[in-house]
Amino acid sequence: MKILLKAFLLTAPINFVYAAEGQKSAGLPQMDIATFPSQLFWLVITFSLLYLFMWKFVIPRLGATIEERRDKISNDINDADNLNTEATDILKKYDEQMASASQESNEIITNSKKAMLDHLETLKKENEEKVNSLISESQAKIKAQEEKSKIEIRNATLDTVKAIVSRYIENIPSDEEINKKLN
Amino acid sequence: MAADNPIDPIHQFEISKIADIQLGGIDISFTNSSLFMVFALAATMALFVIGLSKKSIIPNRMQMLSELSYNFIANMLRDQVGDQGRAYFPFIFSLFMFIFFCNFIGLIPYTFTVTSHLIVTFAFAGLIFIAVTIIGFVKNGLGYLRIFYPSGIPIFLAPLIVPIEIISYLSKPISLSVRLCANMLAGHSILKIFAGFIVMLGFLGFAPLVFLVVLYALETLIAALQAYIFTILTCIYLNDALHPDH
Repeated sequence: MKILLKAFLLTAPINFVYAAEGQKSAGLPQMDIATFPSQLFWLVITFSLLYLFMWKFVIPRLGATIEERRDKISNDINDADNLNTEATDILKKYDEQMASASQESNEIITNSKKAMLDHLETLKKENEEKVNSLISESQAKIKAQEEKSKIEIRNATLDTVKAIVSRYIENIPSDEEINKKLN
Repeated sequence: MAADNPIDPIHQFEISKIADIQLGGIDISFTNSSLFMVFALAATMALFVIGLSKKSIIPNRMQMLSELSYNFIANMLRDQVGDQGRAYFPFIFSLFMFIFFCNFIGLIPYTFTVTSHLIVTFAFAGLIFIAVTIIGFVKNGLGYLRIFYPSGIPIFLAPLIVPIEIISYLSKPISLSVRLCANMLAGHSILKIFAGFIVMLGFLGFAPLVFLVVLYALETLIAALQAYIFTILTCIYLNDALHPDH
């Protein structure tokens, strides 16, 4: 284009100008009717070529490229959406599993706690019973011992009294008499 | 006289022959205007050939550029016309790219601005006007005439409204073509005038130089904006033809 321009600039001075051709009409070159056919002719040619070029080459190709890109973008967006829903589903599932697992573990904990408490309770009860029975047994034993001791003491007292009394008097009092006095 | 003065702001719009071609008595010479039409065509082709040379899902810069321009015009057409406008997309897209590159190439010093010539913009505007009118009548039959009498207007205003609507409809190609052409013509003339001031003022020329830089930025904006305006107005006219009720 630079070369063309240079060529044009070189030839420009020797080119011959329409307005100067006839009269020295100093009017606007735009009003020089003699140039109109040439301008229109070349305008029709160049613009027709441009129109054909646009219609047959540029628009189909550009349209296809833009369409392709739009498709690709919308496909990518679709893919991303699908992946997103998938990820959300997985997260949901994970949350659910976590929830059920924690629930399960809670159940296990409460159950085992309960079992432990129950066990403790029964052990306590058993122990208490054992202790109580031991206590009552011992109490019974003590009582029996007491009774026995009382009788033994009384008998010993009786014997002692009898012995003492027999030393001082002939008449030995009977057991009943002594008992009566002791009471 | 005009051709001799290097600071003549109109000089840049002059059309000079490069190759003399006569066809049946009609002068269809290849001129500098034709050359820059070819440049605009070549620039558009280069953009898209490079941009589309390796289609990839993740675009490189040139592909990005071609896709941005495609989406820009496609969105404009969809917003203005809707899905029915799809059939006219190649034309609208070509129109935008052609005017855009003509305007931009014209900003390079020593170049020629194809769109600064009224006949070129009028050819586009006239083609659009005729095409839109034909599309309007083909799609709506005589119902297309409703555009001259908007709904909700009292009947006694019809004698006033209908001629106004007809005049405004018929002036569409003129306003469309003159807007683009006058913007290019005026902008480039002012650029040239201030460039001349720089030369004339010698070392004091930095003041117009600063102004020229700012103006050049503005002209760059206008080059893009006018291509956009031309295209979006075409879309609006097309929408009127497809949906005359709105």
